[in-house]
Amino acid sequence: MIVTMTRHSPDRNDAASVRFDRVGLRYDSSEEVLSDLTFELKQGAFAFLTGASGAGKTSLLRLIYLALRPTTGEVYLFGQRVSQLRRAQLSALRRRVGIVFQDFRLLEHLSAYENVALPLRVQGQKETSYRADVEDLLQWVGLGERLHARPETLSGGEQQRVAIARALVGKPDLLIADEPTGNVDPEMGGRLMRLFSELNKRLGASVLIATHDLGLIEGSNTPVLRLQNGLLVRDSKEGVQ
Amino acid sequence: MSRTATEPRESPLLPQSDAREAALLFVVAALCFLAALTALSARSSYSAAAEWTNAVEGELTVRLRGVDARAAEDAATLITQMEGVETARLIPRQEAAQMLAPWFGSDGLPAGLPVPVLVEVTTLAGTPNVAGDLSSRLADAGFDARIDDHARWGQDVRRALGTARLAAFAIVALLVATAIAVIAFATHAALLARRDIVNVLHLSGAPDPYIANLFERRFWLLGLRGGSIGAAAALGVAALLIFVLGSSAERTWLLPRLSLDFWDFVILLLTPIIAGFSARIAARRTVIRELARTI
Repeated sequence: MIVTMTRHSPDRNDAASVRFDRVGLRYDSSEEVLSDLTFELKQGAFAFLTGASGAGKTSLLRLIYLALRPTTGEVYLFGQRVSQLRRAQLSALRRRVGIVFQDFRLLEHLSAYENVALPLRVQGQKETSYRADVEDLLQWVGLGERLHARPETLSGGEQQRVAIARALVGKPDLLIADEPTGNVDPEMGGRLMRLFSELNKRLGASVLIATHDLGLIEGSNTPVLRLQNGLLVRDSKEGVQ
Repeated sequence: MSRTATEPRESPLLPQSDAREAALLFVVAALCFLAALTALSARSSYSAAAEWTNAVEGELTVRLRGVDARAAEDAATLITQMEGVETARLIPRQEAAQMLAPWFGSDGLPAGLPVPVLVEVTTLAGTPNVAGDLSSRLADAGFDARIDDHARWGQDVRRALGTARLAAFAIVALLVATAIAVIAFATHAALLARRDIVNVLHLSGAPDPYIANLFERRFWLLGLRGGSIGAAAALGVAALLIFVLGSSAERTWLLPRLSLDFWDFVILLLTPIIAGFSARIAARRTVIRELARTI
């Protein structure tokens, strides 16, 4: 079983990519958007996160990619208790996570090549050391001829593939994608899913994809985390790999 | 796939400057211009006045009334023999006429004008109360004499200069503080305007100092440029003032002589460096403080 929803002792240290222990989240003084979430995503797992709009999918992802702190409970990333880490350690942890944002978040003043190279550049790597990797990756996602194109000149699907390449370039241990098929046609959506699957198999990275595209989920045997009003509910495919 | 090894690939992670930065550059340049000019003016005035006070502090002027040439000579001799006096010189009527030329013109003094006989006295440094002793001795010898002790003027000037120097320091400090506050405000605005970029960098694992360094470098260069423009403008204005005052020296003889010396050029060279460092520190503090609000 890759995705489990069992409760663990908070101090347990294991190989899970992500572990939530009774996590709750509220923004300011509003109502809780996530309540008492307990689950773990093991290293090398491939899972979907689904739920209706407003169910809290993006909030949950933001907790995982360390854009938010939980209001209650504990988040563990690669066995490390996030609340106990210093800022420099959090930065190091973020480098192990690749994120495909729903709105891509490409930097408009940088080319496709520079956008993809960004995570390596902030790590202080020299351009000569990563140039071939970045070009190969862009080739792999079908953009080998658009290296120097600015995001504004790319189609939605091309921008999405640049965002995916950027998420993959650092060979992350965990890939998070927020509605990656939301802006592309079904054919492109299928291609992207095969890309994620290939990444999961080739690199052994854990993959968590947030989607409300039930067609995408129904067509696979992938485990599903389902959110309903901020609560995690069991899915019929739980434990099926 | 073709690879062009020589093609430049790395653009700055922050976009090139925009209209806001042009406005900020102008503000920094203006503040640096005012600060440099204030510092130059304060230094120039202080140097000129200090030079003047040093010159007059060892001097006395004795005014003798109702004496003829012979009595004046006797008085000068008496003064020369006194303890603490280095020299005593009778000022000829012709020289007195030159001193009064700004008021009476260069054609000489009116014939009937009662001009007192003046004796210029230089005193030895460290001798106390020469003026008092001189006054007593001349009175005892039957002279109607008045003593102008220049040291008294020098002390007043020094006191005024001390106050002026403090005021100049305060103005320069205020201008630097204003520049820092403006830059901090501008950095904050730039950070907000580029929040999307900062957010992507942050979530890509860029440590806080890395992100802060991007803004630091940008504002360091902006400070250097603004400071250089301001310093150059201050140099231009100072040079113009020196030229104008120099070309009308006859009519501006009461004003201190202005010139640019080594320390003035040090001030001008330091202006962009101080502006750059101030901008850099302000930017760093602002970015680090803003990032600390995130996880």
